[in-house]
Amino acid sequence: MGDNQTINHFPNHYELTRKDLLVKNIKRYRKDLEREGNPLAERGEGPGKYLHLDFIPVTFVLPADYNMFVEEYRKSPQSTWIMKPCGKSQGAGIFLINKLSKLKKWSREARNPFNPNLTKESYVISRYIDNPLLIGGKKFDLRLYVLITSFRPLKAYLFKLGFCRFCTVKYDTSIQELDNMYVHLTNVSVQKHGEEYNSLHGGKLSVQNLRLYLESTRGKAVTEKLFANISWCIVHSLKAVAPVMANDRHCFECYGYDIIIDNKLKPWLIEVNASPSLTSTTVNDRILKYKLIDNIVSLVLPSDGVPDVRWNKCPSQEAMGNFELLIDEELAYQDERENPTKYKSSHGKWK
Amino acid sequence: MEKEKLAAEQRASGGRAKKAKNSCQEVRDEEEQVTTAVASDRAQQLQGMAEKLSLEIQGMSNYKQLYSEIQRIVASSAVKKDDFKNTLLEALKREGLETELRNTVFHWMRSQRLDKPKEQANVYGADLSYLKKAQMQWERRIQKSLNSMCNELNIPLARLRSAADRDELAEKWNELSTCDFDLGQYRPLFAPKDFLEVLFSLRDPTFKKQPNELNWEFSHIQIKVKTLAQLRDAYEELSRGEPLLGVNGNVASSLGHCPNLEAERIHLGEKVLKANQAPVAQEFLKRGCPRALRGRLWSLVLGSVVRDADADYYDELKAMVLQYDLMVDKLIIKDVQLTASNDDQYFVFEDLLYKTMLSFSRDSEVLPSVTRDKCAGGQVIHAVLQGKPATLENTLVFPPSGVIPFHGFTMYATPFCYLYDDPCAIYFTFRAFYLRYWFRLHTVSSHEQGIVAVCLCFERLLQCHEPELWAHFRNLHIPPVKVVFKWLMRGFSGHLPPEQLLYLWDLVLAYDSLEIVALLAATILSFRKDNLMQVNTVHNVEAVLADLSSIKVMPLLQLSLLRD
Repeated sequence: MGDNQTINHFPNHYELTRKDLLVKNIKRYRKDLEREGNPLAERGEGPGKYLHLDFIPVTFVLPADYNMFVEEYRKSPQSTWIMKPCGKSQGAGIFLINKLSKLKKWSREARNPFNPNLTKESYVISRYIDNPLLIGGKKFDLRLYVLITSFRPLKAYLFKLGFCRFCTVKYDTSIQELDNMYVHLTNVSVQKHGEEYNSLHGGKLSVQNLRLYLESTRGKAVTEKLFANISWCIVHSLKAVAPVMANDRHCFECYGYDIIIDNKLKPWLIEVNASPSLTSTTVNDRILKYKLIDNIVSLVLPSDGVPDVRWNKCPSQEAMGNFELLIDEELAYQDERENPTKYKSSHGKWK
Repeated sequence: MEKEKLAAEQRASGGRAKKAKNSCQEVRDEEEQVTTAVASDRAQQLQGMAEKLSLEIQGMSNYKQLYSEIQRIVASSAVKKDDFKNTLLEALKREGLETELRNTVFHWMRSQRLDKPKEQANVYGADLSYLKKAQMQWERRIQKSLNSMCNELNIPLARLRSAADRDELAEKWNELSTCDFDLGQYRPLFAPKDFLEVLFSLRDPTFKKQPNELNWEFSHIQIKVKTLAQLRDAYEELSRGEPLLGVNGNVASSLGHCPNLEAERIHLGEKVLKANQAPVAQEFLKRGCPRALRGRLWSLVLGSVVRDADADYYDELKAMVLQYDLMVDKLIIKDVQLTASNDDQYFVFEDLLYKTMLSFSRDSEVLPSVTRDKCAGGQVIHAVLQGKPATLENTLVFPPSGVIPFHGFTMYATPFCYLYDDPCAIYFTFRAFYLRYWFRLHTVSSHEQGIVAVCLCFERLLQCHEPELWAHFRNLHIPPVKVVFKWLMRGFSGHLPPEQLLYLWDLVLAYDSLEIVALLAATILSFRKDNLMQVNTVHNVEAVLADLSSIKVMPLLQLSLLRD
């Protein structure tokens, strides 16, 4: 590619966006930090519990980690697990499991997928977040947009206008409803087909309104902590994949982060999407997507609007529009050298 | 420093708070009389007032609880027989009951102020009885269309609910959106535009119509409304240019230990809540309320803090919904569906709103406030239960609240869903707010807080301060009120984003007035003047004003109130 060309993907973005690879990278990232003796990797009580890096549900890749899964499953046989095909999106092929026998039955029916030679498709199985935060009795997840202009040094921006996607049906954990995907999956592509789907709001509530609701009903401190934790888990998911990403200077990419908040206001990273839907389901959705695209273009280009690989990728505040800086390692590094004392306090957030 | 601030806030609440304090003293003295039967000199002077107060307080909803609390204290060992007066007062103070008494007197005084419109509202000495007549006609029209809808659909106004129906409703009370109501044939009885037509047709019978006079001005209606200069005096905190929350929370704080204004407001707000004094809370709201404190502060100002008895009462309302099948139920459900369910800011609260609005229709405590109001038409429908003899016990006021819902009625309740998790808290604060303000926005009256006065205030502001815009509208034959009426009638609910709406309602509560709604409407038009001047049809005017998502209420209002 020429110096004046730019492209909206990183070549191996699947390290972040494929469900199995994301899990693998995060597990490796934690181990690496632990080996370094980094305080971030501090463990809590119980095996496998990280105090600060425990932001994805316990997950295994099937068939490869089957034995590890069974071991974990036996520790709490009453919990529910969710199976997702690694390579599919928009809620396709997802189902819930609450008995080991059901998994075995599925594996028989799926013509022995435990032999990797016979099937190409692998699954991830994750502990199902069965205590999601409900608003008006309904479950929701967050769709946030994160723009990366460089992985090494890491430069990431969070779009302030994300939204919550609500299930159309009341949340219900009873066994009978286990197969009702309208209760459990928040994907718009799933919910759209529900009888209760409303095309005027599309089940979408803005993140600003979520914040207003939480601050009013739960208080400011816990709400701020929640949003800080969300930024935290995004930043560390990115740091986990940064070493393996092909960091081409021509590239930028906008990812769709899916996050579920549980009823203790802890955010869980569910998955990261490479080409988040830019079609719109409602009028406000259209305005939001329009702003998103407009802001991305203004942020990834130098002020003269012509792509240039030699540009330092430090956009002005105005160019960022509705994006806010999550992390810029280069700026942080400069800052550290210039003001070694200030660095300690401002960067402490990520320590 | 910060004590001074709080004191200043207390001082600023001025005469009202002081009066409340004095009245509290009276109540205390009066309590003393009741218990000791010894009339001091002071109490004698104030006896008339005190007797009135004690009578009034007995009629208030929290009296029972207050009385039993005081009894408990009197009986406790903290109160000594040999020094009854001092020990009782000491104990009342310690237990926070003194504050409760003060707040009760405050709520009573507030209710007095609204019930008796100030004489100056009718400063021209005009005969405004035609407004009352118009309201009575309007009520009759609504009742007529209610009856004809019943006839058309062949359903009664009221009947006992069938057992099957009752069980289903009871089971799904928390998720009424899953019930399959067949509402295809129901439509709202009226919409804001129908009501506006009623207002446009108001005519002062003694007023001669000029040959070239347009048919839509309110200016001939002789209700006194404030001018911008008077609004500036009334909304002094805004016009003085004091830093407000909702303008910029990051400006420096005047308190040394607070990093910014937002932190300062939170700090002060928490102190106000701790003091538990309603007048101080009302004063506090004037400079914008921090999100996390708003729910509690509003309840305190409105006296709608939920007590055990209230929770029981709320359950009784539910029982009433289950017992009777009223025709308005369908209209209520339809309205929630048409408004909140389709609104991307409120759809998540759909189920909460069904409960709230259905319970509200059964609330007979609402009835006296909306019918006994001097300005109301005061007509109610009596419905006989279907299939029962027309005896007194089979007759009920329809609906028990006396309020017949219209298109958008639900929007008076929606914003409260952002404030509270507890349906009971939503209910009582919504009810208090409605009874104090919103019911005046859908009834024709000469009240200084009524919709006619609000429209008139808007009209005068626009005419005086945006004459160009006024002329532009006039040339296009578009009544300016017409394009803002839906905002006014709903107090902007559903039009402004929730956060901004709550700031506006903070001010309604803080200054205890709906004038701010008229001012905001005029200010938005003024703010969008350049765009409005470029369009020539109603349709395009409405398009310019359709999206209020970028409006920031506090800065805009402060800008319009700041003195030049």
